Amino acid sequence: MSTQTQTETTTTSETGVARLRALWNDYLPYWFIAPMVLVMVLITFFPGAYDLYLSVIEEPTFNIFAAEFVGLQNYETAFGRGGALHSFVITVTVVVSALALESVLGFGLAALVAGVESERLQSFYRVLFIIPMAVAPVSLATIGRIMLNSEIGVIPYLIEATTPFAAPAFLSEIPLLTVVLLDTWNWTPFMFIIFYAGLSSVPDTLIEASRVDGAPLWRRYLHVVIPYMKPVVFVATLIRLIDLFRTFGVVYGLTQGGPGTATQLVSINIYEQMFINNSPGVAAAIAVVYLVFVVAIANIVIAKVGFEGVWD
Amino acid sequence: MASQNQSQTQSQSQSQSPVDTGSQRLDKDTRETLVSVARHGLLLVWSFVVLFPLYWLASMSLKPPGEANALPPDWLFLPTVYNYIQLAQDGAFLAAFANSVVMVSASVVLVLLIGVPAAYVLSRYDIPMERDVLVWILSSRMLPPIAVVIPFFVIFRELNLFDSRIGMVFMYVSINLSLVVWVMKAFFDGIPETLEEAARVDGATRFQGFRKVVLPAAKPGIFSVAIISFIFAWIELLFGLVLTNFKAVPVTLFVYSFIGSRSIEWGMLAAASMAMILPVVVFLIAVNKYLAAGLSFGVVIKE
Repeated sequence: MSTQTQTETTTTSETGVARLRALWNDYLPYWFIAPMVLVMVLITFFPGAYDLYLSVIEEPTFNIFAAEFVGLQNYETAFGRGGALHSFVITVTVVVSALALESVLGFGLAALVAGVESERLQSFYRVLFIIPMAVAPVSLATIGRIMLNSEIGVIPYLIEATTPFAAPAFLSEIPLLTVVLLDTWNWTPFMFIIFYAGLSSVPDTLIEASRVDGAPLWRRYLHVVIPYMKPVVFVATLIRLIDLFRTFGVVYGLTQGGPGTATQLVSINIYEQMFINNSPGVAAAIAVVYLVFVVAIANIVIAKVGFEGVWD
Repeated sequence: MASQNQSQTQSQSQSQSPVDTGSQRLDKDTRETLVSVARHGLLLVWSFVVLFPLYWLASMSLKPPGEANALPPDWLFLPTVYNYIQLAQDGAFLAAFANSVVMVSASVVLVLLIGVPAAYVLSRYDIPMERDVLVWILSSRMLPPIAVVIPFFVIFRELNLFDSRIGMVFMYVSINLSLVVWVMKAFFDGIPETLEEAARVDGATRFQGFRKVVLPAAKPGIFSVAIISFIFAWIELLFGLVLTNFKAVPVTLFVYSFIGSRSIEWGMLAAASMAMILPVVVFLIAVNKYLAAGLSFGVVIKE
């Protein structure tokens, strides 16, 4: 009797396991994709919706339904006293100039390194040139503060020791340019390594053919190499563009948005509205506009340039 | 006029290129030497640009306190590990460093567990509106962290996740998930489907086919995407700044606290920055050959 029950339970648990296994295997794609979808929903829809909600109420309370609706008042404050417009203008300035500088430099460096004859020297440069990527924005701000300081900085010192010009006060006179230059130091490696990978994927026969045709160097790049690398150029630029809109740490560590509001990028502005001015509504209003703005730009880039070659 | 010019240059280049006269070859040789000299000159200049700030930071961390910001600089100095010893005795710094190591590593493991299987499905199955799904995934990276962090700040306080390592791990997963899915989707696209079909014919289940055949083949991709995810989480400041207070403070925030204080201890600041940078540099150098593949979102791998 007892042995019978035992065998029965084992068989039921065995069939249970088998059923679970079948369930696992039959619906594998669903199990595989469900956690990602869950996390994605959490991190894409929730913040956007919550920002939108925060931006139209007076003050967040624990009871969602007790909140007082104030319409677009927070938006008015943000773009009036909050200096949101100024933040957008300087953010776009920084993004565009840093992206241009990093793309050109990154491509130039990739082309230079790809042309080095010695294989070992090439890999040496490749490793050396990606190192700045390891430097966190905070550490970069540290380096900037130490080296560019008007009193103790080595760079102003070297400029004045070797040239007849007076060194600019990097952090107070040209803070925006300083931010762009530091970001360029930090992230040109990203463009470099992707362009380098792209360049190595261009078939030698293609380059040989255009060389035999007698095409000059610049034309070879413009009409043969770059069109071939288009997907790589597209991906690199898109990712860098998106990431540039996230810039926060280096500016926060370097100038905290100052002097005045000279380097108050949108992300710094939102942070200050939220955690220093204690006005979550205004912060959320700027955040909503920023979200729409960045997603729109990225989608325009995607639509214009297209994805052909990037997948399938 | 313009077209005339164009045709002229065209005919010129046509008449020149096929004929390789002796003098031209000589010109070509000198030109190639010149190009080579210019190339190495430019590469040296950029090497200097890359290395000088790092050298300066390192030297500053190795100078005794009084000498750290002397001008003109002491180019020759007796290095001392004084700052590093101070740092090693600073319990708060060590705690923050350990926090970062634990939280970032956990987030990398988790993001791979979530992202790699999802990427496999996106690569192998017919997903309705696949392109839109992929753009949607990428859009999570378009959201500026500052816009994301405010809602999470509020909800974390409600859920008791504020200043917790679990909360930070989740935030790190959120910044890297899109990257993992995109890179790995491209990688799986490059692995022939016949591999796992053969395994299925041999009696393997779907999951076994994935685990024993596809995963090993995708190892380089997983490796590179893990490194990139690690770096992106390791250098993140904003989430730590907003979502932690004491217990779950990451090392980035700790380095920042040196800057924020009124009197800046330059030597300590430099040493702490070095401690943050060095492990990642060693890591990067060790795995540099995988890095290009991962960073280019698999585009190149497909060739």
